[in-house]
Amino acid sequence: MKSLFIISTVFMLALANPVDASQTFGTGANTSDVSKISDILATPETYMDKDVTIKGTIVKVCKKRGCWMELASDKRFQSFRVKVRDGDMVFPMTAMGKTAFATGKIQAFPLSLERTKSYLAYQAEEMNEEFDPASVTEPMTVYQLAPHGVTIQD
Amino acid sequence: MSKSINWFKLNRSLHRDIGYFCIGMTLIFAISGIAVNHVEDWNPNYEVTQQRFEIDGLATQIDQDSFEPWLLEQLQIEADVKAQFWESPQRLKLFTKQDHTIVISPADNSVLVEQVKPRVVLRSFNFLHLNEARKAWTYFSDAYAVMLIFLSLSALFMVKGKYGAFGTRSWLVVAGIAVPLTFILLYS
Repeated sequence: MKSLFIISTVFMLALANPVDASQTFGTGANTSDVSKISDILATPETYMDKDVTIKGTIVKVCKKRGCWMELASDKRFQSFRVKVRDGDMVFPMTAMGKTAFATGKIQAFPLSLERTKSYLAYQAEEMNEEFDPASVTEPMTVYQLAPHGVTIQD
Repeated sequence: MSKSINWFKLNRSLHRDIGYFCIGMTLIFAISGIAVNHVEDWNPNYEVTQQRFEIDGLATQIDQDSFEPWLLEQLQIEADVKAQFWESPQRLKLFTKQDHTIVISPADNSVLVEQVKPRVVLRSFNFLHLNEARKAWTYFSDAYAVMLIFLSLSALFMVKGKYGAFGTRSWLVVAGIAVPLTFILLYS
């Protein structure tokens, strides 16, 4: 009975320590050389095939698996998605509003015109805004960062 | 004179002791298993609550320096804003230290307050089950899996005779293998 009490106490103490206390994922980010998100989005080809670090406030986190998060750009109305393979890193929802650094490779996903319309329609729906598919005449490319290291600061 | 090993007794003792050791891990993996199995229907890690408000005068107040304290007072929330983000020209998000996300749409005077609270016990169980810890936990989980393999195989030799796994109860062993095989045949 005594040992059961000790085990239960140790277990409850372990749970009392918030798991989210660790703010480094993977290798951790290289915070010394940060590129501006607005610069990356302006000339993405310059940043392909090399390690890039971005920094920004976490403004969205994947609710189900924590497999992606969006960082606010230095420019208004812009954000950039940081995406990992399911389970490689799990970003906590409680990190929203904190500042994150993410280091990794930029990935480009060229969309067809149809997929561009679906993508923008989904985004408009999420933001509760009206969307006219006829207004989209050019296909777009979506960019995201596949990180090997992320550091989240309070 | 050398004593011969009683394999039957040894198997039962090992099954019992390893079984005791595995109780904690089995409960953690089983409870977390149920929780994450239904990830499409609920959030197994966080309790997310949402409240909608309609507040007059958002469009005129939003550009004022005193907007944040004014809004928190209107919402009757005691919180400290740590960051803000203009998602679009019509949508501002505020983030508080108390894990609120406040989505403000001044055009229609609407405010959505979302609060995230970790499910402390389940979050910890899922953290282990999904191996978010990595490092030594990976090896410990492997050892646990080996122990489960031992428990399942040693169970075959726990009881001799009629009620043993090779007697009349053998249909249970066959059923336990047949059910997952059926699902593979049906769904894969």
